[in-house]
Amino acid sequence: MTEISTLTTVAFWAASAMTLGLAVVVVTQRDVFRAAIALAGSFMGVGILYFVLSAEFVAVVQILVYVGAISVLMAFAVMFIQDIAAGSRPSQGRLVGVIVAVLVFAALAFTAYNTEWLSMDELPRVAQIALTEGYAEVGTGADTRVVPLDDVPEGDDIFVDESAGVLVDSTSALGVSLVRKYMLAFEIIGLLLVAALIGGLLLMRDPPEGKKPESETGGVSV
Amino acid sequence: MTIENVLLVSAALFAIGAYGVISRRSLITVIMSLELMFNGVVIAAVAFSRFTPSAALLTGDPLTAEAIRSALTGHVFAIFVTAVAAGEAALAFALVFAMYRSTESVEITDASEMKN
Repeated sequence: MTEISTLTTVAFWAASAMTLGLAVVVVTQRDVFRAAIALAGSFMGVGILYFVLSAEFVAVVQILVYVGAISVLMAFAVMFIQDIAAGSRPSQGRLVGVIVAVLVFAALAFTAYNTEWLSMDELPRVAQIALTEGYAEVGTGADTRVVPLDDVPEGDDIFVDESAGVLVDSTSALGVSLVRKYMLAFEIIGLLLVAALIGGLLLMRDPPEGKKPESETGGVSV
Repeated sequence: MTIENVLLVSAALFAIGAYGVISRRSLITVIMSLELMFNGVVIAAVAFSRFTPSAALLTGDPLTAEAIRSALTGHVFAIFVTAVAAGEAALAFALVFAMYRSTESVEITDASEMKN
């Protein structure tokens, strides 16, 4: 157990160092293409952090969406825009930026260290076992409750549905949450992505020659 | 690894992103810094999900599967924020291209006019 937690701690600090170091490169590098590569590395570090925090599904989403899609989008943007060779010059707001960043960081760190966070140890024993080892859902209708896997009562007329713990089997529990409790938000996100897609296409069209002909704008309306 | 450590990393990433948003002139770098800030927020959400018990779990008696799944609210939040960030990045780049086509520049000081 100790070896595992030591390993976790080492992995956590290594991933944090990678994330923060590359993030500093992103905001200080003049060459925008290098900044884009560093950004991909920083996103990868965040993905490793999610693995360490036992959020496997979020980690995979992070790597697919950020490293796979957004970084590629950044690289394309840098290659499309010609005068990027001039580099990303810092603006006059540099000192203001440092002050704001330090103040934001100080406030957040102060809050993090001065709040008494509830601990998972305060949960009842059943909930702790259900979160880490596994649980069985017993009964039907309003009588449904959760018991640890080794406490499942005997009997033929008892309905038992066995699941591994949430932190062990987070992906399936997450899927159930997404299509039950967060169904509406899930649908709205789908709508939002379609709207973003259509909006992006509309903005990226070839510039019309002179006045826009009616046929070109009439087809698409958002 | 405690929740304070993870929140510290999250705060540092957010602050670095904030510095980038304020101090850079190129719109592309500003968008990159915005993505860094998004990531800082999501790390905090996942950390809360991992280290602190949800209210439904603390008071849940009898315990239901719904209450157990509420321990993953932070993960759900992370996925939604990631989806919104992806849509935001796509639209932001479309805007940057539109601006580059009309003004031949991607500098934030030239973006004060949004006509055409």
